[in-house]
Amino acid sequence: MIRVQGLHKSYGMQQVLKGVDLTLQKGKVLVIIGPSGSGKTTLLRCLNLLEMPDKGSLQLGSVSLIFQEGSKLPTKEVLNLRKQTGMVFQSFNLFPHLTALRNITEAQITVQRRRRNDAEQRARQLLENVGLADKADFYPSNLSGGQQQRVAIARAMAMEPEVMLFDEPTSALDPELVGEVLKVIKQLAAEGMTMVIVTHLMRFAAEVADHVILMDEGLIVEEGPPHDVFHNPKSSRAQQFLNMLAE
Amino acid sequence: MSERQIQIITDSFWPLLKAGVIYTIPLSLVSFALGIALAVVTAMVRLYAWEPLKWIAGFYVWIIRGTPLLVQLFIIFYGLPSVGLTIDPFPAAVIGFTLSVGAYGSEIVRAAVISIPRGQWEAAYSLGMTHIQALRRIVLPQAARVTIPPLGNTFISLVKDTSLAAAITYVEMFRQAQQIVARTYEPLLLYGEAALIYLMFSTILSALQNTTENRLGRSSIS
Repeated sequence: MIRVQGLHKSYGMQQVLKGVDLTLQKGKVLVIIGPSGSGKTTLLRCLNLLEMPDKGSLQLGSVSLIFQEGSKLPTKEVLNLRKQTGMVFQSFNLFPHLTALRNITEAQITVQRRRRNDAEQRARQLLENVGLADKADFYPSNLSGGQQQRVAIARAMAMEPEVMLFDEPTSALDPELVGEVLKVIKQLAAEGMTMVIVTHLMRFAAEVADHVILMDEGLIVEEGPPHDVFHNPKSSRAQQFLNMLAE
Repeated sequence: MSERQIQIITDSFWPLLKAGVIYTIPLSLVSFALGIALAVVTAMVRLYAWEPLKWIAGFYVWIIRGTPLLVQLFIIFYGLPSVGLTIDPFPAAVIGFTLSVGAYGSEIVRAAVISIPRGQWEAAYSLGMTHIQALRRIVLPQAARVTIPPLGNTFISLVKDTSLAAAITYVEMFRQAQQIVARTYEPLLLYGEAALIYLMFSTILSALQNTTENRLGRSSIS
């Protein structure tokens, strides 16, 4: 489903990704962990081209892209890739001027050209799936953080993506609201959604991941099944990081 | 105050108010509507267009903001005929005020668009929207709310500035007052009365601005 090879990204002189390779099978969950500044969010954002990689290749679903410094991808290719991915942001980024329902129908109507009725029906179904059937007509400002993030998940799912990307989806939430969002993500995993999740929650990572990668300074320093990465890390950098978390 | 003065005030009130309602207000509305359209186009050009177009838009804003409105009106009405372009008072006034609202308004619109957080664009992009779709469906509707208070001010200023059209022979409310003064020799009374009617208009507009803000603000406080 996803194959990334030799991905590089720099901001000016600062190299954020220094050659990242990864593969992910359909229906699997990949969790990316690592200290802040390790490049995990940048890697995730490269998967839907919110960040444009400088070098390397990316294959995702039916789209296959090669990045070269100085050459710009055609807009059509970028849009094509984005249509196969859904993204959930740390800060939700719901559209504040639209109700929960309209947040979910907007792109269905403008991007996928669905009829309003169909889009609304789909949106209501998704709201029900995330436990917010009764909040359809609420504006984001009247929803809690956990509720907003669940609407954001429904909004991304409405586009029927091949892969869902989660960028620290619970980091901006009050502790008591984290559980309701994790529950929805676990539910998606159980339904066989292909997902890439950046998170700081190690217990959640261990529970939901099929494969874990640990990044540090723009490189993957450890990867494997969650049990191996968490309990039997091979690299010293991974041991260090996990020890630090254990304290 | 003499009986004659009271008579002049009461006799002139309706003609002045009428001139306000049928000349000042329409001139303001037409100029404002056209000006806002121009402001949005100018703002979009300055934000997103091809470099030379950005430069032209910047030049336009620079010229209009850097010269007095009265001088601009004189150039349009008295100046252009010498190059063979004669424009009637009403269209000349509309052109002048539209250019002015367009220039000041474009900065308001531009600032509002810039104020929308980057995350809104990213969310729209992540859903597969193009730049234009994200702008039209997500960013501009939010930016529009931000522009309401400053554009409300622009409109109130415009209503008062239309009195400048008197100088290019357009008979709006202030010109009407001047004409009555020419007959009655009561400048203090008549200009005071005109000022009062402008004040009335401004007050009504401020109230409208507040209700619009409250109505639109309901869903956007986050």
